[in-house]
Amino acid sequence: MGTVDAMRAEAMTGGARIGVDVGGTFTDVVLALRGGQLHISKVSTTPADPSLGVTAGIAAVLAESGIAPAAVTEVVHGTTVASNTILQKAGARTGLLTTQGFRDVLEIGRIRTPGMFDMSWKKPEPLVPRRWRLEAVERIAADGSVVRPLDEASVRAAAAWFQAEGVQAVAVCFINSYANPAHEQRAVALLREAAPDLLATASCEVLPEIKEYERTSTAVVNAYILPNMRGYLSLLSERLAQLGIAAPIQVMASNGGMVGVATARERPVFVVGSGPAGGVAGAARIGPGIGSPDLIVFDMGGTTAKASIIEAGQPSLVTEYEFRDGISSPSRFTKGAGYMLKVPAVDIAEVGSGGGSIARIDAGGLLVVGPESAGGDPGPACYGRGNRRPTVTDANMVLGLLNPEALAGGSLPVNPELSRAAIEQEVARPLGLSVEAAAHGIRQVANVNMARAIRAVTVERGRDPRDLALMAFGGGGPLHAVEVARMLGIRRVLVAPISGVFSAAGMLSAEAAHDFVQPLLAPLDAVAEGDVAPVLAALRRQGEAALAGEGYDRAEVLLRFAADLRFQGQSSQLTVPLPEDGFEAAALRDGFRQAYQDTFGYRPEEPVELVNLRLTAVGVAAGRLDFTSLSLAPSALAATAGTRLVSFSRGAPAVPTPVLPRAALASGSVAGPAIIESYDTTVVLPPGSTATAADSGCIAIDVGVTDA
Amino acid sequence: MPDHSPGALADPITFAVVKNAMDAIVDEVAYTVIRTARSEIVKDVMDYSAAICDAHGEMVAQAKTIAQHLGAIPEAMQAVQARWGGKLSPGDAVVMNDPYLGGMHLPDIFMFLPVFRDGAILAWIVVICHHTDVGGRVPGSNAADSTEIYQEGLRIPPLKLFSDGGVNETLESIIALNVRVPDRVLGDLRAQYAACQVGAREIQRLADRYGTRQLRAYLAELLDYAERMTRAEIATWPKGTYTFTDHIDSDGLSDAPVPLTVAITVHEDSLSVDWSGSSPQVRAAINSTLSFTKSNSFLSVRCALRGEVPNNAGVFRCIHVTAPEGSVLNPRSPAPVAARALTGYRVMDAMFGALAQIVPDLIPAAGEGGNTVVCLGGRHPDNTPFIMVDMISGCWGGRPDQDGIEAITNPSQNLSNTPVEVLERQHPVRVEEYALVPDSGGPGRFRGGLGLARSYRLLAEEAILQLRADRLVFPPYGLAGGEPGGRSGNWLGEAAERRTLPGKVTMTMRRGELLTHHQAGGGGHGEPWQRAPEAVAADVWNGKVTAEAAQARYGVVVDAATGAVDRMATQALRSQGRGEGR
Repeated sequence: MGTVDAMRAEAMTGGARIGVDVGGTFTDVVLALRGGQLHISKVSTTPADPSLGVTAGIAAVLAESGIAPAAVTEVVHGTTVASNTILQKAGARTGLLTTQGFRDVLEIGRIRTPGMFDMSWKKPEPLVPRRWRLEAVERIAADGSVVRPLDEASVRAAAAWFQAEGVQAVAVCFINSYANPAHEQRAVALLREAAPDLLATASCEVLPEIKEYERTSTAVVNAYILPNMRGYLSLLSERLAQLGIAAPIQVMASNGGMVGVATARERPVFVVGSGPAGGVAGAARIGPGIGSPDLIVFDMGGTTAKASIIEAGQPSLVTEYEFRDGISSPSRFTKGAGYMLKVPAVDIAEVGSGGGSIARIDAGGLLVVGPESAGGDPGPACYGRGNRRPTVTDANMVLGLLNPEALAGGSLPVNPELSRAAIEQEVARPLGLSVEAAAHGIRQVANVNMARAIRAVTVERGRDPRDLALMAFGGGGPLHAVEVARMLGIRRVLVAPISGVFSAAGMLSAEAAHDFVQPLLAPLDAVAEGDVAPVLAALRRQGEAALAGEGYDRAEVLLRFAADLRFQGQSSQLTVPLPEDGFEAAALRDGFRQAYQDTFGYRPEEPVELVNLRLTAVGVAAGRLDFTSLSLAPSALAATAGTRLVSFSRGAPAVPTPVLPRAALASGSVAGPAIIESYDTTVVLPPGSTATAADSGCIAIDVGVTDA
Repeated sequence: MPDHSPGALADPITFAVVKNAMDAIVDEVAYTVIRTARSEIVKDVMDYSAAICDAHGEMVAQAKTIAQHLGAIPEAMQAVQARWGGKLSPGDAVVMNDPYLGGMHLPDIFMFLPVFRDGAILAWIVVICHHTDVGGRVPGSNAADSTEIYQEGLRIPPLKLFSDGGVNETLESIIALNVRVPDRVLGDLRAQYAACQVGAREIQRLADRYGTRQLRAYLAELLDYAERMTRAEIATWPKGTYTFTDHIDSDGLSDAPVPLTVAITVHEDSLSVDWSGSSPQVRAAINSTLSFTKSNSFLSVRCALRGEVPNNAGVFRCIHVTAPEGSVLNPRSPAPVAARALTGYRVMDAMFGALAQIVPDLIPAAGEGGNTVVCLGGRHPDNTPFIMVDMISGCWGGRPDQDGIEAITNPSQNLSNTPVEVLERQHPVRVEEYALVPDSGGPGRFRGGLGLARSYRLLAEEAILQLRADRLVFPPYGLAGGEPGGRSGNWLGEAAERRTLPGKVTMTMRRGELLTHHQAGGGGHGEPWQRAPEAVAADVWNGKVTAEAAQARYGVVVDAATGAVDRMATQALRSQGRGEGR
């Protein structure tokens, strides 16, 4: 622990920290020096072994910055290894041990389908086939009492079967183990004893919450991705060591915080949502500092656009989510398409509108944009790599919003004529429109879709988007943000610093955050402080131990307790903060009723039930990137300047529009129409909007008139 | 203008934007219901739905909620307009639940809120909620064994519950007095109103943006667009009349089977759906009023349309549904209707059977045939009452190009299940099994989904059991040579000595007794003898089909331990032909 301590101390005082975001197309690397100076590199992702791209990107940023590998004190990593393992079905041969009578809980799931009227739908295959789902003889009752003792022979028989079948990892989930984990723990011990090579995960060791399918699914995913994550993290450590970097690796977790390698190796299910968490963490860090602690986070990439919200500087979280392939519909009515994970995660709504989203006319003559995407390869038509179907990027190209010669700081040559031809062929001619009108149409349909994702995390959650600022980043965010904001009545747009690699930068601002939960099902009135205190103490011990393992002193540990509450008889719950210094039923009840009112619009006076106590243990440390004193290496600022013709609204002629470098904002505000270009981002300022430089490297845009 | 551009009035871009906006608005209406409703049946089970209709009452958009509800809207809307046409103003909302005026069963209360623009109706917001109770002889107002609708609860003709934004206290107090849980019911009605208002506000915004006249035109175009797509597709279907008959085992009061017979006629670019020949109306409460029969007929056709047809009434325009008066699918008042859901499922099964002759590459063999409903009511030791209502879903039949799905909602609904741990927490029962039933999937080239088993041990002194199951007598049919799925079953007692119960049961259960239900399995699609031996072997390997059944029903010899196919033996067996192999 001493060396970890020392290293982290050095990270905070002198060295360089590196954030790495592995995307579908590019791996982004941001290196931050203590003074706030940032260096950036962007290299191709290497899907077969992502650690190759990561090390290439790190090597590039080290070379560019002249920083010695030994000076690197921490690497924060957003990884898609866990999520890709699930999507590609490339996980371990996984077994499942359940209570007798319940081997099929995993496959039965929650019965719903994501669509209607689609008789060709395919239900996701369970990650454990029925053959490897075995039953142990045992039973715990709902109150935790033992109905039938654990028959140890049945567990040993299962272990023998798993071994004979070549199973590598096993999840154990027994009915009512949330109320009494003894049988589950004993079964895991027996499995380890009988088959030492089996990687066993007990459901109560992940998060012991009520609902057997959700808990089983979570434990199974954990077991399924375990060997891959371990292999990857070991390989990455080795490759970093070869580069001369001995610094500890931190992994971004789904909850917007980060966890150490030890946790990622034991409970990788917490990092399945690692990818999008960095940008959210960055936005949460910046917002309060520039007067917008409440924010909508809007991240538009090549394939999808994602929205989430930050309230009082904290990302809005859900306690369970469904992980699935491709696009999550923003509609809350479409469950059943993925793998349920009952772990805290940033509440993200996603729509299939990105720069690469393809526009087409459907059989009934309707213009449709996405979710089909040309991705980064072959990419939009203008890339000239063989795709002849128009994308959102091609629409932006035709309208003059994007640089007509090259994107990505000049590294990616483009041909606007290919965009024009694609739109003409696939959209304009079939609809009898001009190419410009068709391009505006593609843009508008994409904007409406993206607005819908934002509505899903605001209006549908009882929040008015007009009260919030919109922080945009990702390759396309700043291109569309002002128009999307206007649709929703949002007045203030913030363009994040280094928008194109903001997720990687955001990781460097994240705190360590570990989640724990203990069930305590009881009517709130019947719960005394004496019932709660030992549970909170147990949670505290778990939290402090986890953070101590990552080198945090007591003084650096921040404990955020919370309670899950619901009205008696309901099955869904709300999480309400709980003061650390003690439990008071009346205050908790009021807090819950207020939260209920905020979310559901009314305030019943019915009896309240306590469901779980939760802890998020946060490791705070000085020296994390706070964006207040950023300076960018010159390469990150490279930009063109000049004038080009831009079409801002349909039917109106294109107007000569100044194209300015980001630095132009230093000398005052810029009124639209204007385009601000930098290395990796294009900011569109339509007529009526005004941009000014804001703190923390942001651009603040007053959108002018809104539609709502 | 080219052929497939939208109608001449419409700008194609605005059209696309308005369509997406309507989909978003109707989901927001639906979400508001969840946010503001009081009852579990709405909040957790999500038994409700939302739609937006144009000025004429034609549905232009629907939320992803209960499909089965929405085809009933046209009939209900006619009743509303017949009574209130020209007499409504802003802030009014009309409710109704009468199955004989376009409703479905009494717990489903419809609310219609007109959206006004320049003094005329521009659109309607419609929200339907299944209410926890609407009075009548049993809690929940949902008994299958009532014999006339007067036993089933409060019947509401189209009446204004809100007038000029204020509540109609006369109607509200009548409702409050006639239901068992007035707080819940009134709370949910207010949730419906709140959701309607959200929809109205958003429609107003859309009209502000695009102009009232234009928005009217776009809404009309949305319907025309769906109608065009539907007609274009039906035009490719082979002309002719296609018939199919499926059965409900019985109405529970007698043992007589209840046949449902459909004849679908494919015209040039439209369909007639004729239910002549179906059973006369029955004594028990499984009668389906015409609006509900239409609803299930429509949604069956919608499942047979490819691609991207919007879910709106443009589809309904191409389908003409008739059922003889006095039949189980168009009963005369006062026939009871509370448990009509079962009949709705079978309407869909019969429709699919006929549609499979028209578009054989799209339609699956029969699925389980509807939820089994298990109700246990009694008292805790402290004399407080408990009522457990549990629904057991099923599976889909084999499909023309892939196997059926096991453990899935019936396609006419989208309900969830109750976690065992939640059930045990709330009620004095212990669930001892929740599992797939091996060999219950109908054999076929593409196998039907397996049925589900669920068992309940009673931990209270005693309880009244009400059980509604079907498909014990008439199993889910197979298609194209596929065999029927496994029958459902009800048993009381321990595995070794259990006794068989009928499909529909009302009886007393005692402490420690074990009730077991097996839901039916889906029918198979295609000849089982044509199923790839590897697929059969995979099912054996995976414990979904036994080695015995693989040999007897598929003609594939599989080593039970390894899942390996014995190719020689299989070839020999299959070359003998099906009949001898079994």
